Amino acid sequence: MKESAREEILARLRQAPKMEIPARPVMPTPREVLLDRDGLTARFTEELTRESGVVYRAADREEILDYLTEIARAESLTRIMMSTDDMIRSLDLPAWGERQGVSVSTAADYPDRESYTRAVFDETDAGVTGADFAVAETGTLVIAHGGNQPRLVSLAPVLHVAVVGIDRLVPTYEDALSVFYGDAGLIPPAHLTLVTGPSMTADIRATAFKGMHGPRRVIVILAG
Amino acid sequence: MKIDTGNFVRNAKLEMQNQYARTFLSLLPPYIAARRVKVMGSFPDPAAAQELSRAIRAEAVARMPDLLEEFEKNAVAAGARVLWARNAAEANEMVLSIARERNVTMVTKGKSMISEETGLNDALAREGIEPFETDLGEFIAQQLGRPPFHIVGPAINVPVEEVCDLFMKKAGMQEETTDPVELGYAARLFLRDKFRRARLGITGVNMAVADTGAIINVENEGNIRFNKSSPRTQVSVMSPEKVVPTTTDALHLLRVLCRNCTGQSISAYVSIDRGPREPAEIDGPEELFIIIVDNGRSRLYHDPKLREALRCIRCGACLNLCPVYAKIGGYPYGWAYSGPMGQVLNPALLGLEETSDLFNACTLCGTCREVCPAGIDHPAIFLHYRALEVKRKRRSSGRWETILFGVWGTAAAHSAVWRFLYRLARPVLAVFGNNGKIEAMPGPFAGWFGARDLPVPARRTFRDQWRESLSKQGGAS
Repeated sequence: MKESAREEILARLRQAPKMEIPARPVMPTPREVLLDRDGLTARFTEELTRESGVVYRAADREEILDYLTEIARAESLTRIMMSTDDMIRSLDLPAWGERQGVSVSTAADYPDRESYTRAVFDETDAGVTGADFAVAETGTLVIAHGGNQPRLVSLAPVLHVAVVGIDRLVPTYEDALSVFYGDAGLIPPAHLTLVTGPSMTADIRATAFKGMHGPRRVIVILAG
Repeated sequence: MKIDTGNFVRNAKLEMQNQYARTFLSLLPPYIAARRVKVMGSFPDPAAAQELSRAIRAEAVARMPDLLEEFEKNAVAAGARVLWARNAAEANEMVLSIARERNVTMVTKGKSMISEETGLNDALAREGIEPFETDLGEFIAQQLGRPPFHIVGPAINVPVEEVCDLFMKKAGMQEETTDPVELGYAARLFLRDKFRRARLGITGVNMAVADTGAIINVENEGNIRFNKSSPRTQVSVMSPEKVVPTTTDALHLLRVLCRNCTGQSISAYVSIDRGPREPAEIDGPEELFIIIVDNGRSRLYHDPKLREALRCIRCGACLNLCPVYAKIGGYPYGWAYSGPMGQVLNPALLGLEETSDLFNACTLCGTCREVCPAGIDHPAIFLHYRALEVKRKRRSSGRWETILFGVWGTAAAHSAVWRFLYRLARPVLAVFGNNGKIEAMPGPFAGWFGARDLPVPARRTFRDQWRESLSKQGGAS
């Protein structure tokens, strides 16, 4: 039988002469590691703001909902889809939506994938989601997707509002990702995204603008 | 993609007439290069950061076969299907049969250099499957049928009027506009509909992590995230050198890649997939295929010098600083890769015959080597290609060249001969001088002066003057 492509490629690679593996230089500790909580918050805010993101600081559930009310009014939101992670669930947004005249749905409200897809693409003004971590280094959200964190909710609507506990604010990517891909024993998620501000492009005449395919605006509420 | 590397000189001359592109080239690459320097400064020690990324890439390439097997094992354990293709045709056939089995007639694609390399779009179109590039620049380049002008901005040189015409014809745009933002939103609307309906999404891979079996994509627009979220089947195509040992290594490369590519500290989106969606997920692909395309790499892996080319992370930092690219842009390189990156990769992957002009069109200034975060010594590779070419008698060195370099070599190795010849040559050179410059000479030297001047040698050499001044001081030393 003819050798498979896999065997052939690997065999040819293995027959090649071995080469030395160079030593790795020692890297200085990242500056963010030395920051306290206020320093991390300031850094996160500064970085995300530079990418046109907006950061609010909310002390408790009530303040979070106040911010959401303000956002809903300013953006004339009528239809929101939310993730169902612990943070968002704890806000009881359906009750809030009833008071504010905003319809709030979750992926589970749709009978099948098709109707969910249609809704999230075409019938949703904003996606409201939690995030597993906020990384101060670059103002980045880390979202591990799953049953409670659908992929399109933070991507398809033109506005993405994320609510993250301040205790989830960490200095570097490594601090966040080692939880999922390290030896901690957690099963890594099938899909994980790092989100830093809105979708953007500069592909026509090098003119930069936000909202190419994904959200045009990103708002992060740091809670607690 | 049509390979047109053989017409480098003709196309370069054509592009140098293109005033619009020239203006662009005088502005954009230096701008990105300056941003790069600034944002590299956010590392506590930029030099160490660069050295580390070079070490990681060198290690990844040195351990490539082991890392690939480890990656495959972990990706398969996570539920992905890993396929291996020897060449472009095999890889394209794999994608085609996946599409056919699922009765797919339209696919959406994220920007992928390896699929440019394999000509996947043409292969799909030939079989009646309509491919839509979804990166804005790539979408424009695809619809215009052109190769990428710049790895980061594939159509950044295309005038807005031309984009407007194109979108009126091919992207369902309703009203004419030359506002880049409005044009972008028209493409958003058009491609959004494709994302919603696509059942097969195709992406490239920026990094494949051996110890987790995960693939990583880096982007700003969100089109790759859509390709990984909306369709029921995901096909991610990668070349073997994309594999890196660990997530920690990948994160460092990510920082370095974004800084070198666009001068960002991080791109808007980074997505990491380990297998297809989980059963509880409502969106995301039910099946994930990862196609590893060799396309000649395992062969060039045997040449220690060429193997270095596999360290490339496709950041494009070398393009932005290359004095040759700055004059001609990306088209003359005639294939998927342009600039110094293309001068290294195109000959490595296509062979030296049709790419000779690429590695000869270089002054060996070494700026690309200096900036390269992957530690590629481009000039050394160009010299290697040139030596191979002469050895294989593909480019004759010519009688004059042989004689001249023979004389030059002897003179340069013997100071007495050098001084003697120079003493003879000086008055001869002075004859051709004009206002302190020699701008042209007859005979075998004419070509050299086509684009260069030579200063007229001084009346008295430095050595003569030195000796004279010493003797004036009474021979003190």
